[in-house]
Amino acid sequence: MAQIFPKWTNQVPRLILVGLIVTVNVVILGVWYFFSPEYTDVGYAPEQPVPYSHQIHVDKLGLDCQYCHTSVWDSKQANIPPTQTCMNCHNQIKTDSEKLAPIRESWETGKAVEWVRVHNLADYAYFNHAAHVNVGVGCESCHGRIDKMEVVYQAEPLSMSWCLDCHREPEKYLRPVEEVTTMGYEVEDQLTIGAELVRKNNVSPPQYCQGCHY
Amino acid sequence: MSELTQKTYWKSLNELAQNKEYEKFVEREFPENATELSDGFSRKGFLRVMGASIALAGFAACRRPVQKILPYSKQPEDIVPGIPLFYASAMPFQGNLTGLVVENHEGRPTKVEGNDLHPASGGNTNAYHQASILEMYDPDRSKFPVRNGAKSSTTDFHSFVADYFADTNKRVAFISEANSSPTYNGLKEEALNRFDNAEWVTYEPFGEDNAIEGNNIAFGRRVRTHYNFTNADIIVSLDDDFLAPTHPNNVEYAKQVTFRRKVTSQQDTMNRIYSVENGFTITGSYADHRKRVKASEMADFANALAATLSSRISGLNSFASVNNKFTGSEFITVLADDLASNAGRSAVSLGFDYAPEVHAVVAAINSALDNYGTAVNLLQVPHFDNQNNKTAFANLVSSISDGNFDAVVIIGANPALTAPADLNFTEALSGADEVFHLSTYNDETAKTASWHVARSHYLEAWGDGYSFSGARAVIQPQIQPLHDSLSEIEFLGAITNAGKISGYDMVRETFSSFYSRNFENRWLDILHDGIDVTDGFSTANRSARNVSPAPSTTINEIEVVIKPDNSVYDGRFANLGWLQELPDPITKITWDNVALLSPATAESLGISTDDYLGKAKQPVLNIAVNGTPIKLAAWVQPGHADDSITVHTGYGREGIGRVADVSSESSQLLDPETTSGGVNVYPIRTSSSMLFAQAGVSVTGEKYPIACVQDHHSLEGRDMYRQATLAKYKEKADYASFESIHKYAVPGMAEAAELGEDQPISLFNEQTAVEGEPQWGMAIDLNACFGCGVCIIACQSENNIPVIGKREVERGREMHWIRNDRYYMGDKENPQAVHQPVPCMHCELAPCEQVCPVAATTHSDDGMNQMTYNRCIGTRYCANNCPFKVRRFNFFNYPKEYLTSGEDPDIIQMAMNPEVTVRFIGVMEKCTYCVQRVNREKISAKIETGSPKPADGTVQTACQQACPADAIYFGDLTDENSEVTKMKRNERNYLMLEELNVRPRTSYIAKLTNPNPALVKETNEEYAQ
Repeated sequence: MAQIFPKWTNQVPRLILVGLIVTVNVVILGVWYFFSPEYTDVGYAPEQPVPYSHQIHVDKLGLDCQYCHTSVWDSKQANIPPTQTCMNCHNQIKTDSEKLAPIRESWETGKAVEWVRVHNLADYAYFNHAAHVNVGVGCESCHGRIDKMEVVYQAEPLSMSWCLDCHREPEKYLRPVEEVTTMGYEVEDQLTIGAELVRKNNVSPPQYCQGCHY
Repeated sequence: MSELTQKTYWKSLNELAQNKEYEKFVEREFPENATELSDGFSRKGFLRVMGASIALAGFAACRRPVQKILPYSKQPEDIVPGIPLFYASAMPFQGNLTGLVVENHEGRPTKVEGNDLHPASGGNTNAYHQASILEMYDPDRSKFPVRNGAKSSTTDFHSFVADYFADTNKRVAFISEANSSPTYNGLKEEALNRFDNAEWVTYEPFGEDNAIEGNNIAFGRRVRTHYNFTNADIIVSLDDDFLAPTHPNNVEYAKQVTFRRKVTSQQDTMNRIYSVENGFTITGSYADHRKRVKASEMADFANALAATLSSRISGLNSFASVNNKFTGSEFITVLADDLASNAGRSAVSLGFDYAPEVHAVVAAINSALDNYGTAVNLLQVPHFDNQNNKTAFANLVSSISDGNFDAVVIIGANPALTAPADLNFTEALSGADEVFHLSTYNDETAKTASWHVARSHYLEAWGDGYSFSGARAVIQPQIQPLHDSLSEIEFLGAITNAGKISGYDMVRETFSSFYSRNFENRWLDILHDGIDVTDGFSTANRSARNVSPAPSTTINEIEVVIKPDNSVYDGRFANLGWLQELPDPITKITWDNVALLSPATAESLGISTDDYLGKAKQPVLNIAVNGTPIKLAAWVQPGHADDSITVHTGYGREGIGRVADVSSESSQLLDPETTSGGVNVYPIRTSSSMLFAQAGVSVTGEKYPIACVQDHHSLEGRDMYRQATLAKYKEKADYASFESIHKYAVPGMAEAAELGEDQPISLFNEQTAVEGEPQWGMAIDLNACFGCGVCIIACQSENNIPVIGKREVERGREMHWIRNDRYYMGDKENPQAVHQPVPCMHCELAPCEQVCPVAATTHSDDGMNQMTYNRCIGTRYCANNCPFKVRRFNFFNYPKEYLTSGEDPDIIQMAMNPEVTVRFIGVMEKCTYCVQRVNREKISAKIETGSPKPADGTVQTACQQACPADAIYFGDLTDENSEVTKMKRNERNYLMLEELNVRPRTSYIAKLTNPNPALVKETNEEYAQ
């Protein structure tokens, strides 16, 4: 009796198996990478109602972060500045700029400017700015080189493993509290200085769940 | 399971009987079929029932929801986004203010706490105060004025009254709820001056009219009796439930009474409380001696007490000849002896609703005992009317009915529901041309009024007033009125002045009249402190008169006794899901009212005492008073007086709101057999039967389901509660230790001793305290707890806990993170009742942590058993393995649908605490020791001092902060001097289920009672297990 299946079909199960392994691994790796905050969130740069440029204000004009983000030392929120803060200068400078129309409108009507949130932590995670800047976590450590951003984008993944990188080894990232708002801060012997800061400020970042999740 | 003896604690008659159904019931975590999710009912409908009581939905977890950040345009000076502000205010209840401090997030009040500068609060609150925040955000509140059934506005109202009341010859009848506000009472004077033909009656369905009238009989003055229980060694409560939130001064009284029962060493003394009552009240459960007496026999009892005292002290000669069934009884003899030997240091009190003549007898007893000036004070209350308001109200209603008034102005009260049934209040109103009504809800009276005006909540409007003891304070609004509403002073101001004056201006003007100079600074202080003066009322002089015995009111047949409900009071709180779902402190029933009767009475009526478990179907009784029947489910209450039935008001509402209504469409959708909301009992409350009446009772054969939580989360008779008498404690300080109770050491201790360890040996990895971190722990003083349940509501408010509805409660799914177990002890006809709050124990070797397959529940460095919601996959193994049964599971997405649908989802969302996650379907949750408060203080301590250990007392859990008995201690166990460490060093400190070696961080301080040695055989001979 003639063979129903040609000889090469003996290879089919093997090929299927190999194909399956490859596919599964590709899917896993694909999800791993493409569904991760590194891919989905980093670089997120939504259009804002007012094209406010941090580059001009911080880099060129030399404004300190705290001029606008006033409550960063006291509150969990760094505070998006009220329209009032913009108007401190812009009632005299560029008073008829078209781009600033929403600001002037907000100032006159009392309605809020609807900024689009860029840095958005996952649900169920609690973050407190004051707890971080008071022990010397620099603005740029999480927000990147804001001073170079024409449009603000998300520079870091803000994922849990990224948070834990620092919570596990804070000495790699800490800086003196005076340098918190410095952009482009860099020292040669970070590990030594960092370790000294950890000791001095009694830094023990929580690594248990309820430090952030409740 | 072993046979339970009379000495053990039991939660229900089924547990006492140890019948088959009970064993089957408690073996399961949830009743049969309750864990299946697939029974066909509309989830949407189900969620609609939950009324205002829902939590804030998290934003849908899609990949990148675009969120907006809306900063201020002009930022108010004091607001730092993310940091709550706390403002002082005060809540009026029955005309008495309790000082509060309100947590305010960017202009949005979210939580109320007590104001420790205010004497009526002392820093603590009751359940009504806690739930008032929900009332303000209740979407079913009246939102705009209604003119003849059509939507109107306050502007229209103002122009209407300006025109209508321009004619000062109008005959106007004012019916007002009790109000102590000096501004309001000034407006009242103005109104009476302005309208020549006006009459004013203050009407409260459960007010203190009779008590005032009783003082009038005894002393010739209409004055208030105010107790100072701190000075009372002996307290006798004659059916006066002064510890319950239904009493207008319960927080202050609770603080006073429990203060005298804080025992820290064997040298300490305690007060002794006697309670004489028909039903089981909170005060009765806290008493050392409780005597069951029918309400109709209370007059006889008071007479007999006075008679027995007359031979021991002078001043009661007119009672010498009294002879009734109580005279000469052992209880009354012993009681009289105790009172006589503590003359000047005792207090006798009587429930407000008893007849004035009985109040006079009690006043005479206190007077003869020379208690006035020490434990009892008479206060001259300036805003008391110079008339008996009960009779004045009846006369006014008949006068309105006769057409003697053009307009009726009803302020705050809801007489269409609560007025004595024989007055036919609703029909009487047709005798007037216009009826103006101001109220929070579009209630029964609002529906009969030609002008209904929405009332601003106290958190939205300026006001003022006095506390029960006379502390004057300002009610400071926390937010602009959410709706088109008026406060009572704005409403009355519009009618009297025919002009629009702001509440702020009126209150400020009133207070400026109290101060001739330096008012500006004083005003700021008043607003800041939330208190002006504490001695607003002067002490009244007494001119003792000769009081004669009160007429006997004995009913030999079955009596029915009508009381305000612990949860919904007279009905005013009926739409608050938190309170509806708060188990009654004694019966543990939610969502309904029942007819409470004693086991013996139940038997005589042919009612079985077995049918209580799960979805208990209770036999419905027909209770008829003077031919008017009501139908109400029967509930057997151990310890109730025989031949007496207690019913509670406030239920059986229609057209109020989604929570209160009986026949709401949505609850029909759920389950056609489940209706909640109870029965209106006001139809049997007439002028002649305001408190009790003879009743014809029959069993109808119908059945009604009751959601009672008393058998839920049962510890199945294991050793959980410990107590002893004060005398026994003085003999043996460690009576509550495991060894004293069980006569052998904790298992594993001997082996541990060999290894040189001081904790029992364990299979599991020891949790070692992390160096430098605080270690949190809690101690609950069972000697202070009287079971009111404010901890449950405070926790619900703080932690965004959803309300789930009657049907879900029946299935044992209640979500409260702290439950309050009530145990009976002893004979079922006359047991003792004790209370035990049970939150998560935060075990050091937590059994839940061992079984979680995804490590969603683990241990934190500061010693808390932490629950990580985003890891939880809902296996519920942890709840199965929890010996204390404190874990709660989200069977449905309770918050979501409601918050994104309906008319005003935004309003509900505003009631939520922004610091706490809202949980969703399939997630386990439980008490977190208020981790958001702990972390907030840890962060600020770290910033301010560099140490992660907050100072003792800076972290307070929500339950601790609310508790008027100060029964809950919380703090850092590594701090040798913290309050909680001190409490845990007390010899009475014990761990629940210590033999399991799970090492709970929450421990209990065993209870003490202080029975009179002469009566000990009447109570249980030995309290300790």
